[in-house]
Amino acid sequence: MMDVERLETILTQYEGYPQDLIPILQDIQDQYHYLPKDELKVVAQRLNVPLTKVYSVATFYKMFSLVPKGRHELRVCLGTTCHLKGGQRLLESVSSHLGIEPGYTTADMQFSLETVGCLGSCAQAPVMMVDDKYYARMTIDKVTKVLKLYKE
Amino acid sequence: MINLTIDGKALQVKKGKTILEAALANGIHIPHLCYHPAIKAIGSCRICVVEVKPGPPRPQPACTTTVAEGMEVITQSERLQDLRRELVKFILVNHPLDCPWCDKAGECLLQDLTHELGIDVVDYEAVKVPPHIDYESRLIERYATRCVTCGRCVRVCRDRVGASAINFESRGYFTELGCGHVPLECEFCGTCIDICPVGALINKLFKYTARSWELTKTKTVCPYCGGGCNYEVHTKNGHIHRVRSQGSLLLCGRGRFGFGVLEAPERLHQPLIKKDGQLVAATWDEALDYAARGLKEVIDNAGPDALYGIGSPRATNEASFLFQKLIRAGLGHNNLDSPARYNFARALAGIAAVFGEAQVSGVALGSVKKGVYQSPWEVQEEAKGSGFPFVLGNAHHLSHADVILIVGADVTPEMPTYGWRIMDALKNENFRLVVANPRKTKFDRYANLNLRYQPGSERLLLIGLMEAVLEAQPGYSPHLEAEGFEDFKKTLLKTSLSKVAKQAGVKDADLRQAGKLLAQAQAPAIIFGHDLMAQEQGQDNVIAVADLFLLIGQPCNKGSALYPIAEKNNTRGVCDVGVMPNYLPGYQSLAEGGGAFAKLWGKPVSDKPGVTLEEMLDQLENNEPEAPRALYLLGGDLVRLLPNRQRTERLLQKVRFMVVQDAFLTDTARLADVVLPVAIHAELDGTYTSTDGRLGCLQAALSPNGTRPDWQIITELSQRLGYPMKYGSAPAIFAEMVQLMPIWAGIKEGHRWPHKKISVSLNGKFVPFSTEISIPGEGKYTLIVGKTLAHSGSYTTHAHGPQTIMPGAELKINPADAQALKVNEGEPVKISSTQGEITVPIAVTVEIPRGVVFLADHFSDTPANLLTSNSNLCRVQLQKG
Ligand code: SF4
Ligand code: SF4
Ligand code: SF4
Ligand code: FES
Ligand code: FES
Repeated sequence: MMDVERLETILTQYEGYPQDLIPILQDIQDQYHYLPKDELKVVAQRLNVPLTKVYSVATFYKMFSLVPKGRHELRVCLGTTCHLKGGQRLLESVSSHLGIEPGYTTADMQFSLETVGCLGSCAQAPVMMVDDKYYARMTIDKVTKVLKLYKE
Repeated sequence: MINLTIDGKALQVKKGKTILEAALANGIHIPHLCYHPAIKAIGSCRICVVEVKPGPPRPQPACTTTVAEGMEVITQSERLQDLRRELVKFILVNHPLDCPWCDKAGECLLQDLTHELGIDVVDYEAVKVPPHIDYESRLIERYATRCVTCGRCVRVCRDRVGASAINFESRGYFTELGCGHVPLECEFCGTCIDICPVGALINKLFKYTARSWELTKTKTVCPYCGGGCNYEVHTKNGHIHRVRSQGSLLLCGRGRFGFGVLEAPERLHQPLIKKDGQLVAATWDEALDYAARGLKEVIDNAGPDALYGIGSPRATNEASFLFQKLIRAGLGHNNLDSPARYNFARALAGIAAVFGEAQVSGVALGSVKKGVYQSPWEVQEEAKGSGFPFVLGNAHHLSHADVILIVGADVTPEMPTYGWRIMDALKNENFRLVVANPRKTKFDRYANLNLRYQPGSERLLLIGLMEAVLEAQPGYSPHLEAEGFEDFKKTLLKTSLSKVAKQAGVKDADLRQAGKLLAQAQAPAIIFGHDLMAQEQGQDNVIAVADLFLLIGQPCNKGSALYPIAEKNNTRGVCDVGVMPNYLPGYQSLAEGGGAFAKLWGKPVSDKPGVTLEEMLDQLENNEPEAPRALYLLGGDLVRLLPNRQRTERLLQKVRFMVVQDAFLTDTARLADVVLPVAIHAELDGTYTSTDGRLGCLQAALSPNGTRPDWQIITELSQRLGYPMKYGSAPAIFAEMVQLMPIWAGIKEGHRWPHKKISVSLNGKFVPFSTEISIPGEGKYTLIVGKTLAHSGSYTTHAHGPQTIMPGAELKINPADAQALKVNEGEPVKISSTQGEITVPIAVTVEIPRGVVFLADHFSDTPANLLTSNSNLCRVQLQKG
């Protein structure tokens, strides 16, 4: 069932113009960790934009997800520099620690793993991010430590 | 004009055209994929690249590069072909080898391109994209695997259909066509299927039934609404397999998917006659003899006046013409009408009251023999016309209007063609759209202003709009010569704008803004439809609309006109050709026009107007001596179509003898003494007139399979009644008909009347109308009975396609009301009015305001007119069912 109030608190912060679409989707993504179907329908109706437009936007940007994401989002950089500095091995390590492939979420809904193009900190490659925090000059040894910080 | 050369060929091309358009128009082939003439070019596939001099050294897309003076274009070179080959190879990397079982094979652009470019190997590889195939959606299957992401479907759906129901999802290499959620929820017009260059969108009704090259194509006209779309029916072995529109490709779902009516198992193929109270099968001769005997008996006993004729907005012009000829010449009276009386005839009468009767002069019978379906009347230099037909708009001009006011119409369900024209108009920057309707309709999304008035308060709203126009520009006066303006103004201003706004349930400010838009408009158009005309006071509603148009209209500007929506395919035609008690064909007056008819027919034509369908029913109700004893119905399922079903049924039972021609055993036909099965749709020859007066020509593609065309049946009956009429074909009837209709001068296939060369002189007089508003019945809710897009009358409920989209009636209701009734989506409610009750499931939607409910009237198992009394509006009670 849809939590009407939860969605309303987001929607009431906006005027309801079509151009509010992206910020609203961002808010929903932040709070729900994904974009639930029913909520998207309401958003489309409220902003008077076609539902297909909402989906077009929601699937275009990597920051949005249509399936539930974990509480923490891990992004491992595979940009050129990180790639050369062992990004792929870092990814494999994170992946085996969590037991999931990139693009998936752990069964306990704690972590989601993604890869990204470049995080803009090439000087400190290889880089990964957990939620909003950067972890620079990563090594395989550090993976356990970093993940521990977020485990319940 | 721009001079350029393409492949050395010197061409003169209109400014603003693209290279591709110029080439195609001059028979020069440039391979292309994402371009389609019906939509805006976006230059995304790059297959149409050409070399342009002077210009950049790299090849340019022909579909988005406009022609320039002195340009030299090369369309074929080794370099260009290499580029095209590479591009097509990229597409082929992921394209499945479905050709053997893909419906598109044989008419697929990707096949053609691969063949043309001689691609025999694809030496690229890439990650396979997972195959997403949507088998679930209704009527349309989507094979993402076959999609070449050209965006044609996305553009046509968004820009022409106005549904925005499909769009791209994800991006880059993984871009995929989606609709947000499987399955598809849209208008189901199927336009995307036909515009797709490949087999990514498949018509489920057509799937695996034929290969494209086996089909025979016959051009005819859609039988479902007043839009009059021309289309091709594709047949094989005597069966229809699909329907297609050429050119723009636009059709609505009823047109594209509704042809199943033809082969519906319920169709009648044999005449029926009543024996011992039962309708039983009979041969044609038996049935016709029986019908003639029954009618003759009534005529002999009670006089020819006792036979009343009821035409049908479904019948062709030719059948309708013969029908009125039988009544007028054969029986010598004018007692005939059609169900159009309850909607479109009101529009005509209302507009005629304000703008006068139809007049035309300066047209003459030509000496040269004209082709089939062409008027022998020629339009002379000095041709002049006036009166109501000249206020009726041309659909092709609608997109030139700078302000369109839609009032009391749900445009797309009633007539999709006007919806497409509005989409075109929206491309003009200065265009403004005002939508007035108690419900939220499709065009709300595109409107600059929405006026959500109380059901039934159209006249108050229109008064408010007129006041707002006057207020917007002090000293405002009509552009047309208008009688009685000052008096009218005085009456108007007696009630304040705020008061009418309040009564109509709209905001003062909104009315004022609408008034401003209308007052400033150079070419204002007004569209109105069923919601407005079908009320008991429909005629007054139309007068109010016509008064507003007299105030603001500028018919000398393209697009500025009145656009009433004629619901059925030939509603306009049946009126045009004289199935009316007060007009001869071509709206000629009985008093003056009869001479020419009498001369040609060798029989006098009575100048005494007949009674209308409404009046005739009242006569039956009151057992008046003039009430008819026999009815001859050319279709026109009165029991289903007219408000107050029980009354109609009761009154028809009073009639001693009833002959019905129809394709199905309709609710009216069940009461008949003789039922004669008729040919329909692709079985017919003849013509229809679209709502905007355009002549559409039908061509039979299928054998009538035991049935007969209406006109043949009429001649057979007429013969037996002692008035022989001999015609060999529909065109022969057309020839006689147009000879008697000077106002149709210059008409031919695809052209509209009045002819554009007739110079129009319009003037009008303001006509007062009643401002009393009342909705019959009692109850907490106001029921609006109207139309849906899936169906056309009850006809399409016999066709599989439309039935898949809407299998039965549903009551649309506001979420808050549903909650208050404790009924969930899809659960039944009992609707009761003073007339009767029915139970239907509900559909919860914010489109409907609180206190209002909406029911479509297509379904015979839950007939909406069981609830109504004399209007499409009534008050009802709702109860959990
Ligand atoms: S069927 Fe019509 S409305 Fe539906 S997606 Fe295709 S074009 Fe759009
Ligand atoms: S479905 Fe067809 S029309 Fe639509 S983008 Fe794909 S290939 Fe083009
Ligand atoms: S029903 Fe009307 S709009 Fe639809 S295809 Fe037929 S004529 Fe065209
Ligand atoms: S490549 Fe990883 S941060 Fe730039
Ligand atoms: S047809 Fe011109 S770019 Fe596709």
